[in-house]
Amino acid sequence: MNNRPTVIDYLIHAKYFVQILLSFTMLALRRGPVSLLRDMRRYPWLFTLLRAPLLMGRLAAGRAGLYREANELLISFIVRRMVGLLVRALERGDTFILHQEMVPPEISTAMGLSVWPAELLSILLPLLDSHAAEEYIDCSENEGIPPDICSHVKMTLGIVLSGQMPPSSVIVSSNLPCDGNMTGYEITRRWNNASIYRLDIPFNFYDDRAAEYFAGELRRMIAWLEENTPGRMDWERLKQICEERNRMAEIEIELWEMISARPAPMAAEPVYLGHLWSFNADPGRPEATRFFRRIADMTRRNLEAGVRAVPNERFRAVLWNPPLLHFSELFRWAEEAYGITLVIDSMTYNSQPLIDTATPDTMLRDLGKIIMQGPMARHTRGPAENYIDDIFRIYHRFDLDMVWVAGHIGCKNTMALNQMLREACREKGVPLLIIEYDLSDQRICSHEGIIRQIDHFMQNVMKVGRNGKEHATREAVASNVTADACASHLEE
Amino acid sequence: MNQYAGISLFDDLLAEPLNRLAEQAMGEGRVPVGYTCSYVPETLLSAGKLFPVRLRAPGIAGTEMADTYMSNVICSYTKSLLEFAIGGAYDRLGGVVFTANCDHMRRLMDNLEYLRKPAFSHTLDVPHKRGGPALDWFTEELKMLADKMSAHFGVSAAGDDLAAAIRSRNAFAEALRAIGDLRKLDPPLITGGEFHRVMIASLVSPKDLLMPLVEDFRRRAVERGGVGPYRARIMVAGGELDDLSFIDVIESQGGLVVADRFCTGSLPGLEPVPESGDPLRAIAQHTLYKVLCPRMMEEFDEREEAIRQTALEYRADGVIIQAIKFCDTWGVEGSTLTAALRSAGIPVLRLEREYRHGGEGQLRTRVQAFIESMGK
Repeated sequence: MNNRPTVIDYLIHAKYFVQILLSFTMLALRRGPVSLLRDMRRYPWLFTLLRAPLLMGRLAAGRAGLYREANELLISFIVRRMVGLLVRALERGDTFILHQEMVPPEISTAMGLSVWPAELLSILLPLLDSHAAEEYIDCSENEGIPPDICSHVKMTLGIVLSGQMPPSSVIVSSNLPCDGNMTGYEITRRWNNASIYRLDIPFNFYDDRAAEYFAGELRRMIAWLEENTPGRMDWERLKQICEERNRMAEIEIELWEMISARPAPMAAEPVYLGHLWSFNADPGRPEATRFFRRIADMTRRNLEAGVRAVPNERFRAVLWNPPLLHFSELFRWAEEAYGITLVIDSMTYNSQPLIDTATPDTMLRDLGKIIMQGPMARHTRGPAENYIDDIFRIYHRFDLDMVWVAGHIGCKNTMALNQMLREACREKGVPLLIIEYDLSDQRICSHEGIIRQIDHFMQNVMKVGRNGKEHATREAVASNVTADACASHLEE
Repeated sequence: MNQYAGISLFDDLLAEPLNRLAEQAMGEGRVPVGYTCSYVPETLLSAGKLFPVRLRAPGIAGTEMADTYMSNVICSYTKSLLEFAIGGAYDRLGGVVFTANCDHMRRLMDNLEYLRKPAFSHTLDVPHKRGGPALDWFTEELKMLADKMSAHFGVSAAGDDLAAAIRSRNAFAEALRAIGDLRKLDPPLITGGEFHRVMIASLVSPKDLLMPLVEDFRRRAVERGGVGPYRARIMVAGGELDDLSFIDVIESQGGLVVADRFCTGSLPGLEPVPESGDPLRAIAQHTLYKVLCPRMMEEFDEREEAIRQTALEYRADGVIIQAIKFCDTWGVEGSTLTAALRSAGIPVLRLEREYRHGGEGQLRTRVQAFIESMGK
């Protein structure tokens, strides 16, 4: 099998390139030349967004067929949807509000409000430009935010403090996913001189009492939004949104079934980045459902034709914790260098995906459960077993060979669990790589540094060299996952 | 500034996680229950034969094992507790009550349960805001803890028994408040270092056994007259602080610490718990409203105002905001708070520190510079 792109691959690439250009043109037309120039001066990150075709090129390079096209579809879809969000953000009507990433957007959307996810830029910009986060992180630290706070939080605050966050007089935030994020919203509030509603999400979230409390919080949020914005709750609209979200979730479950196959017919960015965008920025939008259906169709076609996403698939991995934002081509590199297929990631795997749309109460309860029991909440706040047991659950469900943990130095929640995880993995014979790095700031650990960690793990634990050089058989690898091997990697 | 010679009695009580008064109580059949955070109501842990002991790691030399488990980016208070726990320092406690209050505390709890599970443990899920629903939730949380303690220890933590515990708590808190008020005078009758010792001793000792020492200290302080000389009156705000030498170093540079608005300090936590109505609800309300920690999402303005009012009331010339390194809540809030207080004309020194005593030279230099910057 080879993954050399064909002429058709290049033509398809050109098609998506044109689609991206059309999206940018749409933005220019909607804003008009004068407003757009003013926007670009006020929001310099708009220039970074223009790099989307380059990101598409990086993800497509070295990939072929439907897997390649799925990556191209993904980027063009995100650009198109981002342009839609941008138009609303830049127009800043009185329905424009700022949401923290753990607040379910379905409700505000059903109220007729335009939601801008405050952390959106902190996710997208480093994907597009490895260095994009640095000026905002520096800005944040210069304003007194301690360097040890999560760089994702610092970047978001830096965007706020440098005046580059679209301003809003209404904000909804929560106590998730971590203390740094939660506390930082006071800065965002003060900077915007905004009114804010803060959702309180319980720690013990597995019982009806917690579900009821949080559903109550969502009800109070709705009442507050009705007082502070022109938005009005439209329960029928919420039902439609939840049903649409359910359809997307069902397609995603089908996708998971298909990628459980060995070798995987689809992998990496279309799976994890597709989820990250669709379920966080666009849930309940028909466009997002259509995107997921197309990804699932491509996957099915590959599966039925016996086509692997990664032609030389030798190892299957899960990525735990948020993806390495500033190293967007990492998995493409890992595919080429070691035949590693990233099958799924922890942020994608939500064990509570569907919403009962029977009544407003059931919708609020289940939307609440999606947040409370969603990956970020489960893993960063809930008891340790949430974090560790989920890893083994996914490891078996997707027939994996190794676990990669993105050991973001700023995520204290998960850093404090890694030793327990190491010991659990040793006990179960699960190869574990903890990549020590920073989520958004590659000055902490460069791409070369990340690659060195992976090389070291692959050679010492998995006993293979790059490009298929054998260091041991796969069977031998399984029996060779020893505490010493893991420890020697980690000590480095 | 000279300290009262009898203060060494309090120093003795603070040298070990379980002091001689705790040992004495245990000898009488009473049971110490550890806790880690101000959001655990001491009153509830005082039911029947129980008495609360705030977990400390006095004299800790290093956190090598805890670093392995909790990493090097976690607050050194929680790591110090884990290190002591691994070494068995808390094995004689009847149990430990945690809160899910911050990322570090939660992971301490996870690691402690994994490495050395306490005989009895419970985690309070404290809401991140106030108001009716949150108060209901927290009252239920306390009820669950009370029921669990009743089942495990065979004590009654409800009704009249709990009301009696509230009255005892209020009487003891009033005694401490009377001592704390001596700092308002000019010159104050006690040093900040002395009061810090009394406060920390009150968190780790059975209160009935400590009461005679507290009363004796107050009597002698009044007899002694004012302390001094000093260059500036300082208020210390921030997070967990039980390192006795921290305030001593500030005072050694002429900065008399007259107000303690940190989580192991007296302000405003010593205010009385209402003695009427449902005792559990009264405790829940007192806890949610009198502990001013930035882990509460909605009360920044109140916390800022509390510092300003306290500084005014105690005639503080400046405020030191101290937090243990890697504390996210105080880390982020510290930047906002510093800017807000400075814009209100209050001199602020912001310090990051480790749980255990260290960096004394740097601390001296920064305090000296701060006092000089105030023109004192």
